[in-house]
Amino acid sequence: MRTDLRLAWLLTSGSNRREWWRICLTVVGAASVATFGAMAAAVASISGYANLPVAHGLLNNPGERRGVLLALLLLLIPGLGLLAQCARLGAVHRDRRMACLRLAGAAPARVRRIAALESGLACLLGSVVGIVAVAGSVLVAGQPPARLWWMAAVMVAVPAAGVAVSLGALRRVVASPLGEVKLLPRGQGGGRALARGAILLVAAVTGGILALAYGPAGLVLPVMFGALLLVGAGGVWVSGGMARLAGRRYAARAENPALLIAAERLSADPWAAARTHAAVLLVTVVGTGFMGVRETLLDALSDQRLMTRSDLDFYTGGIDLAGAAILVGLLIVLVSVAVSAAESVAARRRALARQVAAGVPRKVLSRAVLLETALPLAPALLVSGAGGLAVGIWYASLATHELTLPYSALAVPPLMLATCLLAAATSLPLLRRSTQPTELRHT
Amino acid sequence: MNTTEPAPGQPLVTARELRKAYGSTPALCGASAELNAGEILALTGPSGSGKSTLLHCMAGIVRPDHGPVTYRAERLDSAPEERLSELRRTDFAVMFQFGQLIPELTTVDNVSLPLILNGTDRRTAQKQARTWLERFGVLDRAEARPGELSGGQAQRVALARALVTSPKAVFADEPTGALDSLAGEQVMTELTSAARESGAAVLLVTHDATIAAYADREIRLTDGRTATLEVSA
Repeated sequence: MRTDLRLAWLLTSGSNRREWWRICLTVVGAASVATFGAMAAAVASISGYANLPVAHGLLNNPGERRGVLLALLLLLIPGLGLLAQCARLGAVHRDRRMACLRLAGAAPARVRRIAALESGLACLLGSVVGIVAVAGSVLVAGQPPARLWWMAAVMVAVPAAGVAVSLGALRRVVASPLGEVKLLPRGQGGGRALARGAILLVAAVTGGILALAYGPAGLVLPVMFGALLLVGAGGVWVSGGMARLAGRRYAARAENPALLIAAERLSADPWAAARTHAAVLLVTVVGTGFMGVRETLLDALSDQRLMTRSDLDFYTGGIDLAGAAILVGLLIVLVSVAVSAAESVAARRRALARQVAAGVPRKVLSRAVLLETALPLAPALLVSGAGGLAVGIWYASLATHELTLPYSALAVPPLMLATCLLAAATSLPLLRRSTQPTELRHT
Repeated sequence: MNTTEPAPGQPLVTARELRKAYGSTPALCGASAELNAGEILALTGPSGSGKSTLLHCMAGIVRPDHGPVTYRAERLDSAPEERLSELRRTDFAVMFQFGQLIPELTTVDNVSLPLILNGTDRRTAQKQARTWLERFGVLDRAEARPGELSGGQAQRVALARALVTSPKAVFADEPTGALDSLAGEQVMTELTSAARESGAAVLLVTHDATIAAYADREIRLTDGRTATLEVSA
C-alpha cells in the first residue's frame, strides 16, 4: 500500500497544469456534493416545530422542511453529475497513464488501487471543505449542529462516490494494458437508447404521480428522489440516443465542414456528454415547471389582500429560495457543460492539431465544438421544455380552473440553450492552445 | 510452471495456429511463431498483416481467440491476468513506437517503475535506473520529463525501462517507427547489443528491412498468416 500511495503521489505531483485543473475541479465537485449533503443532514436532524430565524421561518415546520430537504437532495444530482464529469476529465490522458502502468507489470487490482488513491484523496479534501463550511455556518448562526454521525456519513460517502465513479470510468483500461485502443466502440443504436430512456422516464413519472397521490407521507420524499434519479438515468439514455441520431442524420447530409465534423463526432461517441446533457434536461424540466408554478403563485399572492406582510414574506421567500436552488443547480450544470466541452477538446488535442496542420481553419473547429453541444441539446430541450410547461399549465389550471399559458416559462428552453453554448464556448481558448503544432509531438 | 532456464536456441515463447478477430475484422488467421532463448526474431509484413497482434498475443497483452501461447511450458493464453502482469514485471518487457513513458514521472522514475512495482525501494530502483540511463547515454536527462525529450532520447529511456528488470524476452513493436534512420539505428544497436549481453530474446515487429536485418531470424506475415517461416536474416 505504501508503494501504491507513493506512486499515486508521484503521479499527482508530476501532473501538468491540465491535470491540476482536473484535480481542483474534482475537489470543487466533491465540495459541492458534500455541502448539499451536509445541509440536507442538518435540515433532517431538526425534529418537530423549531423557531429558526432562517428564510422567514421556512425551516420551522416539518412540512416545509421536507420540501427544503427534497430541494437539497435534488441538488445532489447535478452535483454528482459534475463530480462524474470531473473524474472523466482528462480520461484519455489518464487512461494512457494507467495502460502504461499495466504494461510495466501492475496487476488490474493495483491499477484500481492507485486510481482510487488519486481520486479518493481529491474527493476527501473536497468533502472536508464542504462539511467544515456547513458545520461552521450552522455553529456561527448559533444553531445546534446536525447529528454528528450524519455529517460523518456524508464525509465518507462523497469520497466513496468519487472512487466508485473513477473506477467505473477506468474499467476498460484496467481490463487491457493497451487501454481502449483495441476495444470496440459501444454499439448501442440511437433508436434503442431513446426507447430505453423513454421507458425509464415514463416509469419515473408514473411512480412519482402514484406516490404523490396514494403514497403515505413518509414515503413521498424517497420515492420522489428515486423517481428523479430515474428521470436522470432516462435523460442519459435519451441524450445519448438523441446525439447518435442527430449525428447520423447530419453526417449523411452535411454540406458544411463544421457540421460534418460535429456530426461525425456525435455519431462516433454519442455518450461523451450524455450525463451532462441529462442534467441539463432535468434542470430545464424543473426550471420551466418552476417558472409556470411561480407565475401562478405570485398572481395568487397578489390577490390576497388580507395577508400580513410576514406571511407574504414567508411565501415569496420560499419561492425565491426554490428559484435560487434551481439557479445553483443550473450553475453546476453549466460548469459540467464547460468541463465536458473542455474534456472533449483535450481528449482529441492531437487529432485537432493534425487537422489544423492539414489546413482545417480553427474557426471551423470552433464551430464544430459548439455544434457538438447544440445539435443533440436543441431537440432535447424542446421536449423537456414542453414537459416543464405542461407542469406549469397543469398547476395553473388547478389554481385558476382555466388553462393559462405561463409566458415566462417559454423563455427557459432557449435561455438554457444559449447559456449551455456560452459554457461550451469557454473551451475555445483551450482549443486554440491545443491546436498548436507542438501538440503533434509524441511523448 | 517450469522454472528451468531454456538453453540458448531452445523455445522460450511459442504461438501455434493463433486466431484473433477484432469484432468482424480478422487480425490473425492461424499464425504461428517461436521465439527461442537468446535470439532476436523479426516479425515483418505489410500494414494490417497481424504483426502487432501476434506480438501482443505472445507477450500476454492480448488473448488469442483460438490457439495456444506458451512460455517455458506455461500456457499464457489461459493464464490469469495477475500472472501475466507478474510476467511483465519480471520476465517480459514491452516497447512500443512511442507513448509507453508516463508523462508525469521523471525519466529516472519511469525507468525505476517496474522495479518499484516489484517492491524494490525507490532509492535502490533509482540507482539501477541511473546505471541503465548512463549506458544508453541519457543520464543527463534523468530528471527531465518525457515531454522534454527528443524522440531518440525517449526511445532510449524506454529501452532502459525495458531492460532494467533483466527480462528473459523483450517484445518491441515498431520501436524505431517514430525515429529518423540514424536515431533508429542507434536504438537498434543498443537494443541488440544489450540483449545479446544479457541473453534476453527479442521479438521485433517492423516493416523496415534495415531494422529487420538486426535480427537472427525473420518471420513474414501476410493477411494474419505466417507466410514464410524461419527466413534466416
